[in-house]
Amino acid sequence: MDRLACVDVPSLALQILVRNHRDWSGRPTAVVSHDTPQGEILQINRIARRSGILPGQRYASALSLCPDLCAGTISIRTIDDVTGFIKTRLGRFTPDVEAGVDEPGVFWLNATGMGKIHSSPQKWAKAINDSLRKSGFESTVAVGFTRFGTYALARGERGEIVSINPEQEIASTRMTPLSMLGLPPTIRGDLGKLGVTTVGQLLALPASGLMERFGAQTHRLHEMANGNLWTPLQPDTVAEPIVQHTQLDLPDTNSERLGFLIKQMLNPMIRAVAARGEAITELEIKLTLDHAADVVERIRPAAPTLDELQIANLVRLRLESITLRAGVIEVALTARTVEATPGQLRLFSDHGRRDPVAADKAFARIRARYGHDSVVRAMLTEGHLPEAQFRWEQLGSSSSPKNRGDGETRNRKEALTLVRRIYTRPVPMNVRPVAGPNGVHLRGMEHEPVSNIVGPYIVSGGWWHKEIQREYHFAQTASGKILWVYYDKKRRRWFLQGEVD
Amino acid sequence: MPDVATKLDDLIAARHLRRGDIPHNRKKEKKWSLDTLAGRLVEILSVAAPARLTAAFKVVRDAQRQSESTVWITTTNSSFFPPDAAEGGVDLDSMPVVRLPLVDDIPRAADTLIRSGAFGLVVMDLIGEVGRGAHIGRGAPARLTGLAKKHDTAIIVLTGDPRDSGRLGPLVSLRAETRRGNKSSSFRGGRRGVIEVHIIKDKLQAAGWRHTEPCCGPAGLR
Repeated sequence: MDRLACVDVPSLALQILVRNHRDWSGRPTAVVSHDTPQGEILQINRIARRSGILPGQRYASALSLCPDLCAGTISIRTIDDVTGFIKTRLGRFTPDVEAGVDEPGVFWLNATGMGKIHSSPQKWAKAINDSLRKSGFESTVAVGFTRFGTYALARGERGEIVSINPEQEIASTRMTPLSMLGLPPTIRGDLGKLGVTTVGQLLALPASGLMERFGAQTHRLHEMANGNLWTPLQPDTVAEPIVQHTQLDLPDTNSERLGFLIKQMLNPMIRAVAARGEAITELEIKLTLDHAADVVERIRPAAPTLDELQIANLVRLRLESITLRAGVIEVALTARTVEATPGQLRLFSDHGRRDPVAADKAFARIRARYGHDSVVRAMLTEGHLPEAQFRWEQLGSSSSPKNRGDGETRNRKEALTLVRRIYTRPVPMNVRPVAGPNGVHLRGMEHEPVSNIVGPYIVSGGWWHKEIQREYHFAQTASGKILWVYYDKKRRRWFLQGEVD
Repeated sequence: MPDVATKLDDLIAARHLRRGDIPHNRKKEKKWSLDTLAGRLVEILSVAAPARLTAAFKVVRDAQRQSESTVWITTTNSSFFPPDAAEGGVDLDSMPVVRLPLVDDIPRAADTLIRSGAFGLVVMDLIGEVGRGAHIGRGAPARLTGLAKKHDTAIIVLTGDPRDSGRLGPLVSLRAETRRGNKSSSFRGGRRGVIEVHIIKDKLQAAGWRHTEPCCGPAGLR
């Protein structure tokens, strides 16, 4: 039977904060949204809670309750980095690890067969907890059969929990208090008034009324507990390490020749690394010797790099410093990589001659001549009216397009979308369309008539400020132009918003 | 026996030789893409069922996929509709837009930008105002042609009235007429229509070739 496990690292941001400040151990500690008096308390430890501090309070209020409070902020990037680190750690125990999207600190693992490697699922779970504890994180591991079941057990208990069979898991899950599952205190209070404090009691409620009375979050929890929102484990794919190897025709001990050979192997390897959007942090060189032990050397540049020359020089220096007991018959290179910065990728790209500093200087000249608002970028915004769906934002400094690489297929639209031209000020047209022999003249008899029209697409709103009622149409003319027009009901007039081009 | 370098790369690596500025030998493909247009002054016009913006954004998207810097120059009177460009896969964050009060200012701004050598693609949208083309100075096409070649930059000029194309003169390296599909099926664009790019002038290879690109209409035209 397939097994699933859930690892919960509770209050991940707080654990990161404490891990970064070892001297705060044993003191009231909190994670705040901003390091300002108005910052909101997000997570607290037990010591802070005993002082009367609660999540949701302002930092200033919390300090008044507990002047010794140690507080700090944790960025989303830090949480992402730590999540990646924990995933890598968990990857030592199972090949399939999925990080929770909505809840940092929650991970699901494929536990099928792992109990046999560690003699029992209990020992496997303990090994995971021990490994995370060594890294400075307290966690709970629940091994079971379902996603929600393992999640609820991991949130509700401590240590290692193993469900023997699905029925036991269901029974244990039903007893999990709702207070452990992240529901807002107000919702828990409302449910508590009805005597609903556990998952089992929640499941007894009809699903249809939950959304209306208690909101989407409660409804979702109900659906998850019912198994209606089941999804299979979706582990992140682990990228294969990039390896290059070559065999020599004759054993060779000459370090210079070996250096040239490795340099030739570096070029396709670096291209492959760059195509992934990564840079090399370490290059492992394994030299297989003729009737002698292999030699393994590791080259670490000062910083992750895609600079072939730099790596080749380091390789050359290393080869010159080692003595080979026998001739080399095979060379294997393995690259350890990390995500590259846009600057590194830009330097690597074939068009590295595009100097962003020169671009910024050119833009500065244009701004000096035409004003600061002359150099902008388009930002999409939420809005109903076409002119409200974007805005022009002053450009800070030029940036390179994101490296997409040849292998990037996610979000890669193949079909173009016809692009419209939009006039900054809609052009007023005839108050009344004029019917001609070949069609309707929306723009007057001097312009070609419209032979076909699609619409209306009605946009209305802003009644609280300046009511707008527009009926948008696409009007095709005899020559094939498609005009983007609208009828303004308030002003009783047609306007030309733009055209499809 | 002395070591013998068997490859040019070895001699260069050993610094016995230096690699000069060898021009990139671009494969001449008949394809509406950045590779075909790089280093050239290109004009896009339409006589009927226009698709100039769409054709230009196809090249912008190509350039971005190749990590090339692009810039779009237009007027404050009108512009492309950014949500459509974004829906077609263009990264708006990394495409600066220069918005100028007069369409006549565009060639001068383009000169400044191209001269920096910092851009692989510069688009000049000269269709600024309804029914008005740009005044292009006499020396501008020659200057732009030279700059395009020097910096290997593709310069795309969108012209409105076909009569405007005469202003760019004979120095345009490639002139393309674009249209949406064929007339009978062009209105909605279809769920999947096409745009056709017909090359009516090409200094590097025989004109007359065509490129067809699938497309879909914006919301309301699907």
